[in-house]
Amino acid sequence: MRLHPVLALVCALSVGGCAVSSSRAQGGQEAKSSGQPAANTGAGQQVSGDAVLLGIAVAETSNVALLGQEEVIGARIAERLLNADGGVNGRPVKLLFQDTGGDEIGAINAFQALINAGVLGIVGPTLSQQAFAADTRAEAAGVPVLGPSNTAKGIPQIGEFIGRVSAGVDVVAPLAVEQALKLNPAVKRVAVAYAQNDAFSASETKIFQATVQKKGLDLALVQRFQTSDTDFTSQVTNIVGSRPQLVIVSGLAADGGNLVRQLRELGYKGLIIGGNGLNTTNVLPVCGRFCDGLLIAQAYSPAVDNPINKRFVEAYNQQTGNQPPQFTAQTFTGVQVFVDALRRLDKTQRLETMDLKTLRSELNSAVLTGTYETPLGQIGFDPEGEIKQQKFYVAQIKMDKGGKGGRFVLTN
Amino acid sequence: MLDFLNSQGTIYVSMALGGVLGLSLYLPLLAGQLSLASPGFYALGGFVAAVMSTKTFEVEGAYPVHLVLIEFVVAAALCGVLAFVVGLAALRLTGIYLALATIAFVEVLRVFMLNLELTGGAVGIFAIPQPFGTQLSYLWLAGPLLIAAALFTWRLEKVRVGRAFAAVRADELAAASMGVDTTRAKITAFVLGGVLAGLAGVIAAHQINTWSHRQASFDASIAYLAFVLIGGSRTFLGPVAGGLFLTYLPEWLREQAKHEFLPTWAAEFLRTGRFIIYGVLLAASCVFFPRGLITPELLGRIKRIGRGGGPPRGQDLPQPEPEAVA
Amino acid sequence: MRLIFQKLLNGIAIGSVYALFALGYTIVFSILRVINFAHGAVFTVGTYLTYALTGAAFGRNGQLRNASLPLELNFWLALTLGALGAGVLGVIVERLAFRPLRRRGSDPLLTLVSSLGVAIAIVNILQYLFGAENYSFGETLGSMRASVTLAGGELPVVIRTKQIVIFVVSMVMVVALTLLVNRTRTGKGLRAVAEDLTTARLLGIDTDRLIRLSFFISGVLGGIAGALIGLAGSFNYQFGVAIGLKGLAVIVLGGLGDIPGAVVGGLVIGVAEAFVPAEYNAYKDAVPFVVLLVVLLVRPQGILGRAQVQKV
Repeated sequence: MRLHPVLALVCALSVGGCAVSSSRAQGGQEAKSSGQPAANTGAGQQVSGDAVLLGIAVAETSNVALLGQEEVIGARIAERLLNADGGVNGRPVKLLFQDTGGDEIGAINAFQALINAGVLGIVGPTLSQQAFAADTRAEAAGVPVLGPSNTAKGIPQIGEFIGRVSAGVDVVAPLAVEQALKLNPAVKRVAVAYAQNDAFSASETKIFQATVQKKGLDLALVQRFQTSDTDFTSQVTNIVGSRPQLVIVSGLAADGGNLVRQLRELGYKGLIIGGNGLNTTNVLPVCGRFCDGLLIAQAYSPAVDNPINKRFVEAYNQQTGNQPPQFTAQTFTGVQVFVDALRRLDKTQRLETMDLKTLRSELNSAVLTGTYETPLGQIGFDPEGEIKQQKFYVAQIKMDKGGKGGRFVLTN
Repeated sequence: MLDFLNSQGTIYVSMALGGVLGLSLYLPLLAGQLSLASPGFYALGGFVAAVMSTKTFEVEGAYPVHLVLIEFVVAAALCGVLAFVVGLAALRLTGIYLALATIAFVEVLRVFMLNLELTGGAVGIFAIPQPFGTQLSYLWLAGPLLIAAALFTWRLEKVRVGRAFAAVRADELAAASMGVDTTRAKITAFVLGGVLAGLAGVIAAHQINTWSHRQASFDASIAYLAFVLIGGSRTFLGPVAGGLFLTYLPEWLREQAKHEFLPTWAAEFLRTGRFIIYGVLLAASCVFFPRGLITPELLGRIKRIGRGGGPPRGQDLPQPEPEAVA
Repeated sequence: MRLIFQKLLNGIAIGSVYALFALGYTIVFSILRVINFAHGAVFTVGTYLTYALTGAAFGRNGQLRNASLPLELNFWLALTLGALGAGVLGVIVERLAFRPLRRRGSDPLLTLVSSLGVAIAIVNILQYLFGAENYSFGETLGSMRASVTLAGGELPVVIRTKQIVIFVVSMVMVVALTLLVNRTRTGKGLRAVAEDLTTARLLGIDTDRLIRLSFFISGVLGGIAGALIGLAGSFNYQFGVAIGLKGLAVIVLGGLGDIPGAVVGGLVIGVAEAFVPAEYNAYKDAVPFVVLLVVLLVRPQGILGRAQVQKV
């Protein structure tokens, strides 16, 4: 009685295992573009026929999924718009998605699955921590990677195939402080709060604190919280007690939004700066009408005036009725950069003539040497793969009368 | 062929480590203690490797394997000492109370790791040197560890120490009144489990290349618990099989999602809904297979089939046991 | 002095959040001697139900994109219905994860793990359906002020209105529960089952029905707690788990299975967390667990519990 289910399970597993390994040996059903069995270094494999494959490896599950899901939307919009423009000189672009989950092993597995499936490049992963783990695999396999949301120090330096379209932390933050000072030159005391269990916020706050000190302001208090916190009463009490004229919050949408709201509810009336993690419309439902006046440091602004951004914003708006958040724009940019580079490469040497390994390597060089007009504005890359972005933005949130909707209004 | 194996290298190594971690929970269980502390020791072992390889040993180029062996020794010592202390403190606790105490211990450990400069705070430590060029080569470390741990556990059950564990598991009071040193038994089992988890952490830290406080999580405790409970909590093969199978399962599901004939929502479910399956499997196994899939009875039957049929002999007879975890 | 008073208030506010959550755990534990890990999941589902009943739409991710119910109920009405729904879910969980094991006389640890499996499944189904987004209830307290000032001056002592609401509700729930258990016939049945299941059954008490009832009550409490906590901040599919672990510390401190104990435990831990000095704010999260460890090692029965006598 107990034997049968167990035997059945064991049999099912062996059959399943065989099916999996044989499907893996055949390179999977996905790699429609390759006619032969895929080896994993790609040497000797032709890229012929139709679709050009790119991989998207972001967190679609786990608590990071909020960021990852925004990135998925950005990638899908990119696929649509770029294919409507003719894809890569006539060949359609096809995106393969793999879920990295929230941990490093998941990212490694997702990258590996995409590499096996024969993608030319990967946009991902979501977290900097995952990047440190998974990017080394891509580097070893010679697959170019563009990180859409990895902002910690040291990521492009992982290898020559690794780059990112998300500007490093040190560039974006100081602008917001300057803007705050413009709005209220009488700022003397500053309180800083950050999510200590989030790698990005922990890096960002160092920049903010350094900027505050450079400007000669008094860093009155530093408070820490966790991204999973919803109650900030003790932090708010301490902050209000230190009587600052400016509060700087580095965290993510839910925790940051709640902190802002509770600051206002408990009577703080001064200026508040939200770090890059709060640069998303996800923060609006959390702090509601209390979001009004929040200054946000942005690497992306929906108000940027160039054709591709206009199309992107419109496509996003049609789908969701909102303005696109930063990560969506950055993922879109990642895909766009790959496709633009492929188009350029195809013009100098037809893609079909190269085997997979060469193609990936050529794509990497093409990516690094190009300049692109993207929703982020005009960008390029330095030889290490770090993004060179000209403009950064500071926006202020203006909430509608009812406190339900709001917009990010550019201030510079 | 080698290319194919290489690309699957990560998964195989993870599977082997999964088996080891299952055993690290099984060892305290042998002495009747449900300890969910393995992730804490796993994270600690990983940090030992991370800190030593990035800060203590300044190495250019490939990281020599003998340094990894030194890390093993240090991690084992550190985890052993900590496990000893925790085991000592938790002596009076049983059942749910012990489980809760170990959960609390892991959380406290994690918060400390989150806050210390040494462990890199929120970011953790990255760019950990790799002793091997390919993922598959890590099996040179993980494989022997798994085999050694499995053999050790198998022999342990037959020796006096192991029988002391079994006695404590069956009925602590009776064992004590029969002269079994229950204190020593429980602490030994606890220390063994902690050391094993620490060793697995050393390998994992090098394999994944980056390590942070998030490795010591409650989710991980649940995963290892699932290895043992679904795999089999009454024989050493159970946690090994559970570890191998359940580490592989999410990847297998990910593969299945690729089939063309599946409707989108089903494919989506297979790719991202694997935790749902995990949870259901965990609950179902508690309800339908409370002693796990691989039980001594099953092994007995397989042995008999190997012998060519025939009635169950002495050792094969199923022992009547209370339906319990520990 | 003022600061101490403020911190005390903060602590009580956070504490009543924990207490409200822990009450659900306690009910089930007092009857069945098992920890229902699925409580966190039921708590989350109740919150999502309340949210849906207010007519709000779900986000862009997940299978049920932008879905919303054609109703638009007042928050408090939605809360009541949502909590009842959570109660029903609690009963379903009992049927699936607890009853088969109880029939076989299984170890409580096995039940704990089984409920854990159910919890993981439920929470991830929520994510699959509704996405990982954070949701908020908006301005449901309407014209009520956001906070109440208890003492004026340059550094006023303030408390948010929502926190007062949570505190009041927890106290009301505790009183209601205690009355139920101590003064009603059903309550007597519950206490009998808690004392000895077999004897109670032999005496003709319908134990199955009472157990279902306790799970129902636990679910309702969870649903109310979730909606209120979601009101005070925001919520997503995981917020039950984070509070769930702390809830364990609360009930052990208060005494497993003791109803006023859950409240006392919650308040003590809340105040302990609030009094962590600002420099050590980073370690705040460890406080409930350190407390848990200390209690388990020194006085496992908690503050209000009775010492467990081990029968041979």
